[in-house]
Amino acid sequence: MAGGGGEKMNVDEAKQKFEEAGYETWVTERIAGVRNKVARKTLWIRVQKDKFRETMQFFKDMADQYPHFSIISCTDLGSNVELNYHFALGYGSHLEEYVVTFKVSLPKDDLEIDSIADIFPAVIYSEREIQEMMGVIVKNIPDGRHMFLTKDFPSGVYPWRRDEAGVKETNKLYERWKDEA
Amino acid sequence: MKHDYEIAVGPIHPALKEPILLRLTIDGEEIVDVDVIASQNHRGIEWIGMNRNNPIQSLYLAERVCGICNFCHPSNLVMAIEEIADIEVPERAQYIRVIQGELERIHSHLLWAGVAAHEIGFDSLLHYTWMVREKVMDVLEAVNGNRVTKAIIMYGGVRRDIDEEKAKLVRKMCSYYREAFNKLAKLFLEDDTIKKRTREIGILKYEDALKLAAAGPTTRASGVKKDVRQDFPYFAYPDFDVHAITPDELLGYTVGDVYDRIVVRLLEVKQSLEIIEEALNNMPSGDIIAEKKLVKLMAKIKASEGEAVARYEAPRGEDIHYVMLKQGYEPLYSWKIRAPTYINILSWRPMLLGYQIADIPIIAASIDPCLSCTNRFAVVKDGEEKIINADYFHRLSIEKTRRLKK
Repeated sequence: MAGGGGEKMNVDEAKQKFEEAGYETWVTERIAGVRNKVARKTLWIRVQKDKFRETMQFFKDMADQYPHFSIISCTDLGSNVELNYHFALGYGSHLEEYVVTFKVSLPKDDLEIDSIADIFPAVIYSEREIQEMMGVIVKNIPDGRHMFLTKDFPSGVYPWRRDEAGVKETNKLYERWKDEA
Repeated sequence: MKHDYEIAVGPIHPALKEPILLRLTIDGEEIVDVDVIASQNHRGIEWIGMNRNNPIQSLYLAERVCGICNFCHPSNLVMAIEEIADIEVPERAQYIRVIQGELERIHSHLLWAGVAAHEIGFDSLLHYTWMVREKVMDVLEAVNGNRVTKAIIMYGGVRRDIDEEKAKLVRKMCSYYREAFNKLAKLFLEDDTIKKRTREIGILKYEDALKLAAAGPTTRASGVKKDVRQDFPYFAYPDFDVHAITPDELLGYTVGDVYDRIVVRLLEVKQSLEIIEEALNNMPSGDIIAEKKLVKLMAKIKASEGEAVARYEAPRGEDIHYVMLKQGYEPLYSWKIRAPTYINILSWRPMLLGYQIADIPIIAASIDPCLSCTNRFAVVKDGEEKIINADYFHRLSIEKTRRLKK
């Protein structure tokens, strides 16, 4: 049912379902609007790496509409890499949409995550992207080619990393440009 | 004997900026397989934001992610940082942001309509549409001092007010477009040739649009009622009754083809005019920025820590930024930008399969990509390469239009 209000699962109901299933969850919000003040909400869910595929299937089954996949964001936190799978639910009704973000932490010595391209086909570009940008290995990825970096980009170099595997050459180029200027 | 042909469309189109390569397998005239190869050029914008720039510099960098939608990327960055650093935005600024966003949508949709006309060889309509588009570009210049890269948004507000004098120009523009709209709608929606080239061409089914997470007019033209302005509260949009426009509003039914994508964008131009006029009529008074001193603002952002997701309905669809700040670390600690085209190019495959070579330009352009078709392409026949240029390809498209006219 599109267009109507109130009949969809809201952020609190979604939060409760995940909590009952044993997940750590929290909600952040921010007020928007001037005369009509409404909070936009993000539901955060922490997922253990080995339960990741199971969680995604659970999410797809419990949602009352096809979850809209947005993007995977990825941060190097030193000893581990954090992946955020951003989805949206509640679209189609006035101001009832919220972001659902799944947080998965991967230790640096075991940078592997299962592919979910068979559950949510739209993730494929993003999975290819985290492989080349962060050096995360996506297991069973249907298409493991480079996404945005050229084919001849050096192997073992990952632009989003903050350790020795990060990009150094660009920085050197930049510093030289600064000296000349 | 049957040959399997592979044509590579790309990698650079001189008119539209971004480089991309479409590799299509052809059986006769029919497209039987599609592969999109994006890895032609990477600018490393996220890297610069995470390593080199301070957040204010990154704001201007975000503006240069895309020349056409140069308001949406900085808007997202601003929203994410305002949430993390807890910066309150003055009411008037929230209204000005809405007006700026809608002005951008008008110029972007008209730009697209012109390109679409050009792709099917209807160049007089291209010139007419772009002539009409000049009005909003003039207003953007008068209001912001610049036609593109306007540098209007800032953390905690906007940098320029829309005073009564400027508001008058915007109102005048709105009435100009109300008149132009009927003529444009007639030209685009009632012309037989356009109908023949776009009806039942490049269909994206409702289910595919959901599965491939298509965004913006691309998904709405397939009947998915999804628009960030309607769904997700940001800026002053909750004050306006924005609804996601689908083609059945005008026609009573939805096909999900190129024609429907034209319908949706045209109706959205009209919707933008209504939003702008409503915003001008109800604009709150007061400040336009929370903190004028940049040093103080920087200090506040530098002392903040946290993460946020911001979403914005860009002319091409949902735009999303993820930002993480770490106390004492000046650049953004994490920054992920996802522009609508990133996700919409996934829809090219179902749209192109089964259609003809001459349909490639209009189908590829129909998602309003920030990149488009051909500079030149190589035809590989039994391992031998032959380079064909864009003119030939464009001519194919025009010839198809002429054939249909007869």
